[in-house]
Amino acid sequence: MLSYAIRRMLILIPMLIVISFFIYSGLELMPGDAVSYMIDPEAAAEISPEKLDALRDSLGLNDPFVLRYVKWFGGVLKGNFGYSLSSGVPIRDIVFDRLPATLELSFIALILSTIFGSVLGFISAIRKGSIADNTLTIVGMLGVSVPQFVFGLVAILIFSLKLKWLPVGGRLMPEYVTYWDRFPHIIMPALVLAATMTAGVMRYSRSSMLDSMNKEYIKTARSKGLPEWRVNLVHGFRVALTPVIVLVGFRLPTLIGGAVVIEQIFQWPGIGNEFITAVRGQNFPLVMMIALFSVFAVLIASFLVDLFTAILDPRVKLG
Amino acid sequence: MENIKKRNTRLDRSFDKLRAREESGLAKKSNMNRQLRKILNNKLAVAGMIVFSIIILSAVFAPLICKYDPLMINLKEVLKAPSADHILGTDRVGRDIFSRIVFGGRVSILVGLGSALGAALVGVSIGCYAGYKGGAIDGIFLRLSEIFMAFPQIILVLLLVSILGQSLMNLIVIFVITGWGPMYRMARAKMLSLREEEYVQALKSFGLNTFTICYKHILPNALGPIMVNITLSTAMFILQEAALSFLGLGVPLNIATWGNILNAAQELRILQENWWMWLPVGIVISLFVLSVNFIGDGLRDSTDPSQQG
Repeated sequence: MLSYAIRRMLILIPMLIVISFFIYSGLELMPGDAVSYMIDPEAAAEISPEKLDALRDSLGLNDPFVLRYVKWFGGVLKGNFGYSLSSGVPIRDIVFDRLPATLELSFIALILSTIFGSVLGFISAIRKGSIADNTLTIVGMLGVSVPQFVFGLVAILIFSLKLKWLPVGGRLMPEYVTYWDRFPHIIMPALVLAATMTAGVMRYSRSSMLDSMNKEYIKTARSKGLPEWRVNLVHGFRVALTPVIVLVGFRLPTLIGGAVVIEQIFQWPGIGNEFITAVRGQNFPLVMMIALFSVFAVLIASFLVDLFTAILDPRVKLG
Repeated sequence: MENIKKRNTRLDRSFDKLRAREESGLAKKSNMNRQLRKILNNKLAVAGMIVFSIIILSAVFAPLICKYDPLMINLKEVLKAPSADHILGTDRVGRDIFSRIVFGGRVSILVGLGSALGAALVGVSIGCYAGYKGGAIDGIFLRLSEIFMAFPQIILVLLLVSILGQSLMNLIVIFVITGWGPMYRMARAKMLSLREEEYVQALKSFGLNTFTICYKHILPNALGPIMVNITLSTAMFILQEAALSFLGLGVPLNIATWGNILNAAQELRILQENWWMWLPVGIVISLFVLSVNFIGDGLRDSTDPSQQG
C-alpha cells in the first residue's frame, strides 16, 4: 500500500513540473513586462525607468529562461503567486478570499447531486423498463442537454423576478449576522448546479446497480428468501455505490472550475467569478495562477481518490 | 401469476411481436444494415434524428426561410414582441430574432461539429498510431494527454481564450486543443485490444507497412466508438460555445450564434420583460443538444452490444 502511494506520488511530480512550466511560459509570452506583475503596481508607478532596469537586473530577469522558471516555481511553492494586474492585490489573497464561497457552493451541490443521483439511479435500475425508468432516463438526458445557464436564467426569472421568493444573486450583505441570513442566496445556485450534476451521477449509478444486480451474490440473497427490498437495498445498492463514490471523488476537484458559469449568473463571489473577470480584463497573472491552482487541486484530489480506491479494492494495481 | 405479468417488459413484448410475425411468415429477410435497423428501432434515436434534421435543414436553407437579414438593424422596431411580422420579435437594435436563431445555428453547429471532427482527427490519428506502435511515442502522448486532461475543461478553454484572443477560428482551435485528449485515449484503448487480433498478425507476416495496417485495416474496426464519441462531443462543444458566448468570451458578438443571442439575457430587465429574446434560443439549443445526445446513445447501443442496459 505504501509503495503504491509513493509510486503514484512520483508520477504526480513530473506532471506538476511540466504543467507549471507551461503556465510559466504562458506568463512570459504575455504582453507587458514581468516586473509589472512581480511588484505592486502602485509602487511601480513611482519608480523611474533607470530604477526599473536595475530592479530587472536584481530580480534576475536577464537570467536564462530555465533558471527564471526554477526561481518562479520555488516562489509559487512558498505561496508567492505574484500580484493581480488590475488591483495590485497579491494573487494568493484573492484566491484564498474567494475559495470558501466556491467550496461552499460546490460541496452543497456535490452532496445533493450524489444523494439524488444515486437514489434515482437505484430506482431506475430496479424498475428497469418501467415508465418511471423511461421518464427518469429522458429527464436525465434533458439535464445534460439544457445549458446550465439557461436553466439558471429560468430559475432566476421564476423564483426571483416573478415570485420574489429568493434573491437574484450575491452571497453576503453587511447586515447579515448568522448563516441563516445568507442561506436564501445559496439555494438557487446550489440547486441549479446540483440538478445539472445529478443527471451524470444518475446514469452512472443506474448502470452500476444493473451491473451488481446480475451478480451471483444477489441470486444467493434472493434464494435465501430475503425480502426484495433487502436484496436490492442491502446487497445490491451497497455494492453499486462504490463506483459512484469514486466518480464523486473525481468530480470534487473539477468543482473549482465547474461552477464558473453558475457563479457568473448568480454573481456568486467565488473563484470562477474572479476567473471570468480576470479573463475579460486580460489580467494574465491572475488567469494563469487560478488555472495553475485548479490543476494542483485536480492532481492532488485524483491522487487521493486513487489511494482511496486502492484501499477499498486491493485488486487495483498501478496501471 | 402476478410475477409473470410484471416481468413482461417492453422488450419482451417487442420480441413477442417479432416472433409472431416470423411464425406467420410475414417477416422478410431484411437486407438493410443490421446496425441501421437497430438504431431505427430506437424510438428516442429516431426522434433525435428528426429534430436534428429539421434544425440542420433550416440552418442550411436559412436564406430561404428568413424574411430578414440577421444583422439588419432597424431602429424603428426595437424590442418588439412576437407578431406576424417578426415571428419571434426583435432585439434591442431591431434585428429579427427568428432569423438570428436560424442563421446563428449555422455558426453554432459549425463550431460544434467542426471542433468534434477536428478533435477526432487529431486524437484518433495519433491514438491509432501510438496505440499500435506502443513504446516511447505512446508514452509521450499518454503523458501529454494527461496534462491536458488535468485542467478542468472550462478553465483550460478560458485560459486559451485569454492567450489566443477571441475569434471564430480560434474558438474551434481551442476546442480541438482541449478535446483531443479523450478521443486519443479512446482510440488508443481500442487499438491496444485490436492489435492482438489474429488478422493483424497475418497482415504483419505479409509484410504490410505499419501505416497501412493501422489506418486501413484496424481503424475501420474501431469506427463505432469513434462515431459515438464524435456525436457526444458535438453536443458538448455546442453547449460550451453557448456558455462562452453567453459570457461574452466566445465568438465575437458581431457574428450571430446561439450563445451570442443569449448574451442579451445577462441583463435582468431583458430577462424579465423580453422573454422572446432568450427563451426561444435556449429551447432551440436544448432541443438540438438533446437530439444529438439521443442519436449518440442510439449509436452506442447499436454498435456496442456490451454497453446496453
